[in-house]
Amino acid sequence: MSRLVVSNMSINRAELPVVTAVDLVAESGAISVVLGANGAGKTTLLEGLSGIIPVAGGTIAIDGRELQKARPGARSREGLAHVEQGRTVFRQLTTEENLRVSLHPGADIAEAYALFPELVQRRAVKASLLSGGEQQMLVIARALLTRPKVLLIDEMSAGLAPVIVTRLMTAVRKLADGGLAVVLVEQFAALALSIGNRAYVMRRGRAVYDGDCAKLRQSPDELHRLYLGGAESAVPA
Amino acid sequence: MNALLTSAVAGLTAGGTYALLGVCAVFTYRLVAVVNFTGAAIGTAGTFVLIALFEAGFPIWPSVLAGIAAGTLTGVAIGYIMTRWFGEASASTKAAVTVALLVGLIAVGLRLTGGQHPHNMPDLFPGSAFRLAGVEVTIASVLTIGLAVLFTILSDLFLNRTKIGLNLRALADRPMAAELLGVRVQLLSLLVWGMTGAFTTFALMIIAPQRSPNFMTLSLLVVPALAAALIGVFRSFWWTLAGGIALGIVEGLASSIDSVSQYRSAIPFLVVLAVLLWSQREARWDEAR
Ligand SMILES: Nc1ncnc2c1ncn2[C@@H]1O[C@H](COP(=O)(O)OP(=O)(O)OP(=O)(O)O)[C@@H](O)[C@H]1O
Ligand SMILES: [Mg+2]
Repeated sequence: MSRLVVSNMSINRAELPVVTAVDLVAESGAISVVLGANGAGKTTLLEGLSGIIPVAGGTIAIDGRELQKARPGARSREGLAHVEQGRTVFRQLTTEENLRVSLHPGADIAEAYALFPELVQRRAVKASLLSGGEQQMLVIARALLTRPKVLLIDEMSAGLAPVIVTRLMTAVRKLADGGLAVVLVEQFAALALSIGNRAYVMRRGRAVYDGDCAKLRQSPDELHRLYLGGAESAVPA
Repeated sequence: MNALLTSAVAGLTAGGTYALLGVCAVFTYRLVAVVNFTGAAIGTAGTFVLIALFEAGFPIWPSVLAGIAAGTLTGVAIGYIMTRWFGEASASTKAAVTVALLVGLIAVGLRLTGGQHPHNMPDLFPGSAFRLAGVEVTIASVLTIGLAVLFTILSDLFLNRTKIGLNLRALADRPMAAELLGVRVQLLSLLVWGMTGAFTTFALMIIAPQRSPNFMTLSLLVVPALAAALIGVFRSFWWTLAGGIALGIVEGLASSIDSVSQYRSAIPFLVVLAVLLWSQREARWDEAR
């Protein structure tokens, strides 16, 4: 059982606060969905968590071990995996080589192919030649082979056909059911809320909602209001 | 005719050195994305450790090993500066930093080694290996070319057949994605710097007796080396290798023709200019990056 606890997280970009005092929890077996409009600070939050950019304040801990000062590589070795926005495959490497880069001694490439059988026949193909959906599968599978405890996924569905998005969402749900703690950032809410457990909505760098996915799914009006503002105060669930 | 062949063959040692330095430059550029102007200076530092030990009366081969170790360490030190403080900088900033480092290394090197003061550089591999059409081909030239070919083949095998090589290719492709997967990015980068440092040092030790072995002259061998790398568009090891050897031969030929011999050190410059102009026209520069 693992648990990611983020408290009072603040992150600046070009000296300006982009994420302010965010608290977030992700637990084994559950998906924490982070929603929010363009520019709300979702990507910045994940980049701060994985160490791509430094944080200005707050703590990040996996099972009580604090990570906010560690380098990205060290955070990865502590069990934090980040699937970045934009499908960052190693373009010059084949599918299988991409997977071998991240292969943890205790992991097996077969696990990746079991999750996404689509990749088997593409194993010798350069990653730059894969379709968008295949690339997304590859980066998720690649992250999985590091044997993470916590998986951060940013904008997994951007630009993909609905049938592929459903396919990916099902796979992510499976990963969570297998014991992973997942933080799923999405701009398109409905599907994410249907597979998620806990939901956060960010607006202008703050978490303005922290509660059940199911509850939020049943009140689209409230979701709309959270996205666009209106009530300025945080809305506890 | 024979005189021409003699001077062409005489350019082979230099050609082999240019080739090896050039291949190292391509290696560094492709894997850690730095156009490295300090390549030859790193090897020069190691070579002068050999000279100092030799002049102090130490036996030759242990001194060679110590020199190579020193060159490796210098490479790692420069690499540390580049990865620690300029890892996120743009390609042109990184290149400018290595130029600054080159100037610094030359200044310190000249100071420590007594400026233009001539040194007693041991000839590691005297004599000729074989005769080619009646012309002596020296062991030194066979060795530098052999070393350049060896480095090219080894880097190919290393990058394509080993796990560390795979990680290096991932690092070259997307450094941040590699780091996020737990690849030891800093360690791997330092490995690249150390490896090229070692090979460069050995190549410079071989060529030093034929040049006036002062710190500046040897460090500036980076110019023909980068010209060779440019012939390989900073991508192809084999074209760089061929380019380096060809540069050496052309230089050898030029030295035998009285009217152009004074200008022969301008040859790498002319080659750089020609390649750049050609690549601009073909718009291949972007593709090469
Ligand atoms: N490199 C940067 N320098 C300065 N400001 C930045 C930088 N990157 C992002 N920002 C700003 O930070 C804010 C949050 O951006 P971020 O990418 O985290 O939002 P997001 O919620 O992920 O949006 P999207 O849904 O479009 O991906 C935006 O206002 C953006 O302009
Ligand atoms: Mg984003």
